[in-house]
Amino acid sequence: MANDDREKSERSVSRRAFLKGGAIATGALSAALIPAVGAEAQLPDAVELDPRHSTVALKVNGVAYRKEIPNRTTLLQFLREDLKLTGTKMGCDRMQCGACTVIVNGRNVYSCTTLAVEAAGGEVLTIEGLAKDDVLHPIQQAFVEHSGYQCGFCTSGQIMSTKVFLDRMPNPTEDQARLALSGNLCRCAAYKKILESVMAASRLTRA
Amino acid sequence: MAQQNTIAGGPLNVVGKRGPNIDAVERVTGRAKYTGDIDIPGMLVARVLRSPRPHARIAAIDTSKAEAVTGVRAVMTYKDAPKVMIWGSRQYALNDRVRFKGEAVAILAAVDAETADRALKLITVEYEPLPFVLDPEEALKPGAPQLFPDGNLEGQPRMLNRGDVEQGLKESDKVIERFYHCPTMWSGGMEPRACVAQWDGDHLTLWASTQAPFRVHGSLTAMFNVPDANVRVISSYVGGGFGTKSAPHTDEALAAMLARKARLPVKLQYTREEEILDSNTRFETKIYVRLGVKKDMTLHALDVKAYINQGAYHTRLGGLGNQSTHVYKSPHVRTVQYRVHTNIPNTGPTRGVGDPQETFAIESVMDEIAIEMGWDPMEFRLKNIKRNGDPIARGAVGTEDGRLVAQALDKCIEAGASRMQWNRRNAVAGSPTGTKARGIGIACTERGGGAGLAGASVRVNLDGSVHVLFASTDIGQGSRTTLSMIASEVLGIPLSLFRTTAGDTEMAPYDGGSYGNRTLQGTGRAVEAAARACLQQILAAASPTLNNAAPADLEIRDSIIRVKADPARQVKVADVMQRRGRSVTGDGATAALQTGVDVERTSGAHFVEVEVDKETGKVHIIKYISAHDVGRPINVTIVENQIEGGTIQGLALTQGEEMRFDERTGACLTGSFVDLKPPTALDFDPRVIEAIIVPNEGTTGPFGGKGLGENPCHPGMAAVANAIYNATGVRLREVPFTRAKILRALSEPRRT
Repeated sequence: MANDDREKSERSVSRRAFLKGGAIATGALSAALIPAVGAEAQLPDAVELDPRHSTVALKVNGVAYRKEIPNRTTLLQFLREDLKLTGTKMGCDRMQCGACTVIVNGRNVYSCTTLAVEAAGGEVLTIEGLAKDDVLHPIQQAFVEHSGYQCGFCTSGQIMSTKVFLDRMPNPTEDQARLALSGNLCRCAAYKKILESVMAASRLTRA
Repeated sequence: MAQQNTIAGGPLNVVGKRGPNIDAVERVTGRAKYTGDIDIPGMLVARVLRSPRPHARIAAIDTSKAEAVTGVRAVMTYKDAPKVMIWGSRQYALNDRVRFKGEAVAILAAVDAETADRALKLITVEYEPLPFVLDPEEALKPGAPQLFPDGNLEGQPRMLNRGDVEQGLKESDKVIERFYHCPTMWSGGMEPRACVAQWDGDHLTLWASTQAPFRVHGSLTAMFNVPDANVRVISSYVGGGFGTKSAPHTDEALAAMLARKARLPVKLQYTREEEILDSNTRFETKIYVRLGVKKDMTLHALDVKAYINQGAYHTRLGGLGNQSTHVYKSPHVRTVQYRVHTNIPNTGPTRGVGDPQETFAIESVMDEIAIEMGWDPMEFRLKNIKRNGDPIARGAVGTEDGRLVAQALDKCIEAGASRMQWNRRNAVAGSPTGTKARGIGIACTERGGGAGLAGASVRVNLDGSVHVLFASTDIGQGSRTTLSMIASEVLGIPLSLFRTTAGDTEMAPYDGGSYGNRTLQGTGRAVEAAARACLQQILAAASPTLNNAAPADLEIRDSIIRVKADPARQVKVADVMQRRGRSVTGDGATAALQTGVDVERTSGAHFVEVEVDKETGKVHIIKYISAHDVGRPINVTIVENQIEGGTIQGLALTQGEEMRFDERTGACLTGSFVDLKPPTALDFDPRVIEAIIVPNEGTTGPFGGKGLGENPCHPGMAAVANAIYNATGVRLREVPFTRAKILRALSEPRRT
């Protein structure tokens, strides 16, 4: 009984990630690597380790990496544990909070539920890659000037979501900004200052 | 006091301004290192096996298979756990008896997460189930399952008494009796609990996501029976606290135990589910209130009986009383609290130790009786609030042995009412006839701050840069910035030259931690004293170069020391420091805040306009005014951010965050953000929230500042309930105010 309960709650990362597979169609991944849902359901135990590894080649913040990793490695794990880029945070590990938001090929994704192999061949941008030569990106500048944070744990995700949003919609209304950031929780609820930061960022990036 | 660089009442150069946090760049670039970001070569990964039962004895536990797994370095159960309870609690890190579903039963550390997960499944546990109870009132009944040998009631009922409440109720012209309920509510931050433990011989370094490093330090020195000097707790960046991290928790002990046994560093990082299940949540309160008034609009008797669901273990006991005894004058008050253990997870203080729950009850019942008597609820409050000079209790007692000073609740009410245009409210509740009904509500609150011991160090380096060291924490309330601004104001050295070390028990003197509105008035006063000690030394060192001018005749502005009467005679701080050749260090320590009869508190008044969709039950916040007395704001931006965020956290309690438990299994049914629904930017329009900082000056805090963090979270539930009543004529006495509850209430025949 105990172990049954345990199995359900633990280590479902790989299963969720598999279910999430296809959220980003990079085309770099062989279909054989991702079991269909039916096949997965037949696995004796989702906790059972999948021994398969792949070599992924991708760019993170402009730097090319080639690394052999277990297929089950999430992009979040890859960034934090393999590349030691800890600016991207784990808040829930099931795409409910947005603390892990990074940009893959111009799209904001929850890196906790994206496999690193899904990003193979792609360009990943994280919070560490935003400032160039110690000059803050205008969005970061806006978050500094308008104090769009409190504890700061969600801030990387807020900023990365803002980046994609403003790339697509450089001159948004406040309501559009609220909608765009509704996938990023801020438990300190600094939403008023975050919204002010996003609108200021829009002005700065257009200037 | 020796020479002051900034004379009290004189112009201020740093304090009272707007501006970003001094660590803003770290926070927006991902460079700020939180506990989960700590990486030590060779560090093991820890996992916790948790009880599937809400109440059971462990009949047998077998870890041999897990220990045999390659890569497993340490496995522990109650058998080899220290028999010392977690500080302030009744909990052992591991025990042979579990009291909530999710309590730690066994722990292990392995070389990687996969190995740890796999090995954890190989631990077999045989449980001997015990009957369990989830409701605090049920738990006090005869025959209820007993959690502890001395019963489920923790200690004696806490009682605050003033006058004779029964007599007062008899004398009253009108008495109403009501029941208000706040369920157990989730209260964690964005960062799940995390700690990293590393032993070097018998010296432990523990990185933890805590608000109170020295409390954790005390818990661990006791547990491992080592001298204070042998344990270093570091809590540098913390991803939100809100009270849940204000006391030691089991995770810190578990990580330290494993690291000691494995002789390797260990990281224990909770998953979100674990954080929700095994943290310290906002405790459930069931509050029965009787309120009596006289025809002349005076409050005459207030009787509060509260059952507080402390869960299996408490990190701190529920402490109601502020709202029933300190806000209003009433000759007869009685507050009785039963702190009861049940088989739900641990509870603890959360942004007000029961203050939001108590505010909900008191501010609702105040509204209800005013309406029954035909009084304006705001006028009724203004008539009865305590004002400067009124008697007030100095501590957590009923007797009013002190005198209220520096209070500004009346100003908060007046400022908020004016901004809300209070007279727009419906003269008759529920009078709007359309599908969408608007209404306006008010709720007041107060709290103390700054209690307990605090300390800090300030160091001026040879180049004139400054280091502020303190062992309370910056949990997002901006204390690195606020404390630096205090030192900058005192020293006349610009903020750009400041660095801070926060939350480090080895670098800074003892400090209780960051909780209960206390960092500013506790650590802040210590920083001020430490900076003044530095200032004195710098001026003394500068004196010989300035024709032996008396230090009292000198001042520092922008890192330049000048003779006040002859500003042309000056020398740079950096030059004086270089010549001195030694850094200047100042220590500050503070004890109790209030020593005489004067009592200073922090108060606020919230006004909300809602629109209730009578067809869907949706409550829309149209306008929300949060007017607060913060004394003198040290950093206006930070204060606003605290008020705005705290207000939304208070509003969040009206719509979700309820932790639900299965009555048949004791299982938590709300183990994710999707179930708990903390608000996003869409749930409440942040633009309609307006913070008003009411001009005031405190008497005890640095530069007249007062602690603020808790208060903005208190009034939301009551203010919204009162506004919903004004809009629709239906009264909600149980949070959260779900659409289902609102629709049900709207469909019921009106009580008159």
